[in-house]
Amino acid sequence: MRRWLSRRSTVAFLMCLPLIVLIGGLVIYPACYAIWLAMLNKHMTRFVGFSNFAFLLRRDTFRLVVFQSCLFAVSAVMAKALIGFVLAHLLHAIPGGRQRVWRGLLLVPWVVPLALSTLGWWWLFDPSYSAFNWLLARVGIAPVPWLGATGWARFCMILVNTWYGAPFFMIMYLAALKSVPEQLFEAASIDGAGFWAKLRFVTLPMMRNIISITVLFSLIVTFADFTIIRILTNGGPRDTTHIFATYAFEVGIASGDIPLGASVSLFMLPILAFASIFILRGVARRDRDMAAA
Amino acid sequence: MTMTVSRRQALAAAAGAAALPLVHIRTAGAAGKLAVGFWDHWVPVGNVVMKKLVDAWAAKNKVEVTIDFITTVGNKLQLTYAAESQARTGHDALAFVLWDVRNYQSSLAPVDDVVEPLIKQYGQINPVIEYLSKIDGHWSAIPSSSGTQYKPACARLSFFKQAGFDPEVVYPAKPVHTTESDGWTWQKMLELAPKAKQAGLPFGLGLGQTTDSVDFVGALFRSFGAELVNAKGDITVDSDEVKAAIEYMARLVPHLPSDIYSYDDASNNRALISGKSALIFNPPSAWAVAVRDNRPVGADCWTFPNPSGPKGRFVPSLPFFWGIWKFAKNQSAAKELLGWLCEREQVETLCNAVSGYDIPPFLSMADFEIWAKVEPPLGTVYNYPIRPWHNSVPSIAGYPAPPEIAVQMYNRATLTTMIGKLTQAGQSMKQVIAWAKDELEGFSR
Amino acid sequence: MSTAATAPSALPAHPRRVSSLARQRRWALWTSYGALSVFVVMFLVPPFYMLVTSLKTSAEISEQRVSPWIVGHPTLANFIDLITNANYESFFLNSVKVTLCVVVISMTISVFAAFALARMRFFGSSLLATGIFLTYLVPDSLLFIPFFRIIGELGLINNTWALVLIYPTFAVPFCTWIMIGYFSSIPKELDEAALIDGASWMQILFLVFIPVAMPGIIAATIFAFTVSWGQFLYPLAYLYSSDQMVLTVGIVSDLIRGDTFAWGKIMAGSLMAAAPPVVIYAFLMDYYIAGLTAGATKG
Repeated sequence: MRRWLSRRSTVAFLMCLPLIVLIGGLVIYPACYAIWLAMLNKHMTRFVGFSNFAFLLRRDTFRLVVFQSCLFAVSAVMAKALIGFVLAHLLHAIPGGRQRVWRGLLLVPWVVPLALSTLGWWWLFDPSYSAFNWLLARVGIAPVPWLGATGWARFCMILVNTWYGAPFFMIMYLAALKSVPEQLFEAASIDGAGFWAKLRFVTLPMMRNIISITVLFSLIVTFADFTIIRILTNGGPRDTTHIFATYAFEVGIASGDIPLGASVSLFMLPILAFASIFILRGVARRDRDMAAA
Repeated sequence: MTMTVSRRQALAAAAGAAALPLVHIRTAGAAGKLAVGFWDHWVPVGNVVMKKLVDAWAAKNKVEVTIDFITTVGNKLQLTYAAESQARTGHDALAFVLWDVRNYQSSLAPVDDVVEPLIKQYGQINPVIEYLSKIDGHWSAIPSSSGTQYKPACARLSFFKQAGFDPEVVYPAKPVHTTESDGWTWQKMLELAPKAKQAGLPFGLGLGQTTDSVDFVGALFRSFGAELVNAKGDITVDSDEVKAAIEYMARLVPHLPSDIYSYDDASNNRALISGKSALIFNPPSAWAVAVRDNRPVGADCWTFPNPSGPKGRFVPSLPFFWGIWKFAKNQSAAKELLGWLCEREQVETLCNAVSGYDIPPFLSMADFEIWAKVEPPLGTVYNYPIRPWHNSVPSIAGYPAPPEIAVQMYNRATLTTMIGKLTQAGQSMKQVIAWAKDELEGFSR
Repeated sequence: MSTAATAPSALPAHPRRVSSLARQRRWALWTSYGALSVFVVMFLVPPFYMLVTSLKTSAEISEQRVSPWIVGHPTLANFIDLITNANYESFFLNSVKVTLCVVVISMTISVFAAFALARMRFFGSSLLATGIFLTYLVPDSLLFIPFFRIIGELGLINNTWALVLIYPTFAVPFCTWIMIGYFSSIPKELDEAALIDGASWMQILFLVFIPVAMPGIIAATIFAFTVSWGQFLYPLAYLYSSDQMVLTVGIVSDLIRGDTFAWGKIMAGSLMAAAPPVVIYAFLMDYYIAGLTAGATKG
């Protein structure tokens, strides 16, 4: 018995046990329960199989939600990745001491609790009191219905999400940049490589894994965002800014049809799973190549 | 209370064991503990007074009552009853708002024995309350005055006076019906809207997806006789009345601010308080904050009923309820407490505490003095409750559709979305009607 | 190539190239500073506006007579009102309590699991290592519904301990992933040497790995702290009494009453709620970067 306990694999398993219990009990079990819930009727008295899902797919509003979620997630992640990448390079070029100050300032959006900073943004966009509109009025431009017109509202939600998430990308990329050995850059310079060439042949390949992982993580988190949309537009105007999480809340809690709300949320799983498998496979392949080389 | 109980006991004894539970008999179980979740009133004093009342009742009846005040901000209250109904544990009684009595009806204990005697005593109850909480002939929740509100017009006197329509004269702070009030129609409003916009005070009528927007459009539709779904459940969106109502809105919208489509429940408040709007449809919360933060505007406000249409004058009503869970451990005490809170004396005490914001569920109670006393300006909310001479009917968007369909119409903001599709997205009437039909068919599944 | 061609005439050309290179570097540096300033301004506009609003009275906010970007009559009343408000104090203490507990629990679970997954093999360990990342596929907007039942049955509705129970679900996977990356980068010779010296696995973990991996641990701790401190949906769903609420929902529930907003106080409360994470980041930022450097890139 004692030998079994001191065996390496047993110790390892016991150390992993809290993690397994946590994931099994608080992620997998509730997810299965949610799947079962999604197959009940509105008053949760009958089992109806996939009828909730079929119903959703026939609704115009839901198809709009799918489109909007993808639009929001993809645009926001692309914007964040780009800005984070640029910022990481800019910061990397600055000497250490000063870099700390700039880094700190640029991290503020990530550090302020999202729900509260979104309230601040909302106040900046308010129809009657928008400080942005006040500035526009000073230069003679008519007030913009920031959250009242579909195009502007979508722009604002992407803007707020980018503002919030870019520091995270910046930090991850900065960390990755720091780990690229200087010699590679110097060697490339000696070979006469200019800025863009260095970027293409040294920086990007070295950082590809971290770029993939960060993009995937951000894609998942952005896709499932709830706070920003809920506070800024709550899906308006006319459901043109609803994404999965807010629509699920609206349909489930606000309208009292919890099984339908669960079905909406569950639609996210296949989409995200597909994206994850795709990206993680690329990462694993590169890891294998690097290990084999 | 004791007198009525003994009369009830006599009645129950006389009726015999086979009688329906139309009367509440005080049992030994009315002692013990009770946990109630009230709505967190936006006027803090309201909560203080509620607690005092409940504590007084608790002391007299030797029941240990714990109170929580739960806000509707962020749908907190809705989350709470969703949670408690799933977990089948929590408070004995909770505040419910709007359609949620129906949504959770299967988990709520019937309260005919509390509501029927109250109706016998105080007369007609707000028809919207009956529509929302009387299901299959049984009452599923007790009507609450705390939080129940109307959303009549709240307007700037200075603008309206110089535009030739003086609300102080048309709806004076006196029990008088004026002939001018018959002239307060949607047509009149359409005449005044462009003048307001020119004066830089466009009407703050939202077309968003929250209750303020949906409610005023609902009252408008009803006054045109426009029903998206009729009482039998047939989809009647493709009708002349609906088209007339939408066409009216299409003519009104150009005179409204451009961002009404993003209005939430507080946007019209802010439009009024900032002095940028001449009229909104709202309970007196906007006026109260204006008095605090922007007194010149606040002292210039007057509340009066909505305009009338071809089929009558309808005022949006947003009721609150108290529901007792089927799994509650002390239903008897809950019924006692909540029934007692519905009595005129308690309703008036609570109403006075919140400066008249709460509307009593019983139409006979529309004569409290508080509404005549509140100022500035004196009489500003005199016409906030529906007075007998207003010829107004309380209404809710979606009425008279079967409530299972109406709740979705209300929450999914079908009415305002239809108008937005026409006026902002530029779709044709045919497209809008077709879209609405598709939505309503989905709601009827 | 250019170097070969200029090699013979290197001497006279050398000073010119050095100074042009220096000039190039200086120009690049100044452009960097310029671009960074632009970004800093854009990033800090909302917090600045929040600060400005928090220094105004309700009346001044509603009035709109002057620019909303400056304060006419600055006042600390909003801040003072909040600090002396008993509700706000309990929100703050609850946030601190929940966050500290969650960080401790999450780090404990993550460190042990990461150590086991990075160093030791057992049946299904590689599956678990990739699998933990996939727990993020189940979003909190889906989980909060089944959690009603679970938390209800545990009797934890309206109790901050409910949060301590469920917050680790989103902190642990990412922290574990960072720690696995970091632990993997520690050379195997270290633990082989310790094993030869007769150390047990626990001793290796505590005496060798944790000290060496401290930057990574700090990075993961900071991450867990930030996400726990700022959580909104879970406390919104499960807490309803003022004495149990945490800062994020407390501010929203207390200061937004019905359809009236106390903007000055909301902004003041938000800034004070943002203070602890900002302070922690200010002091531990270097560790965070160092931790991510090794952990993330090798992961």
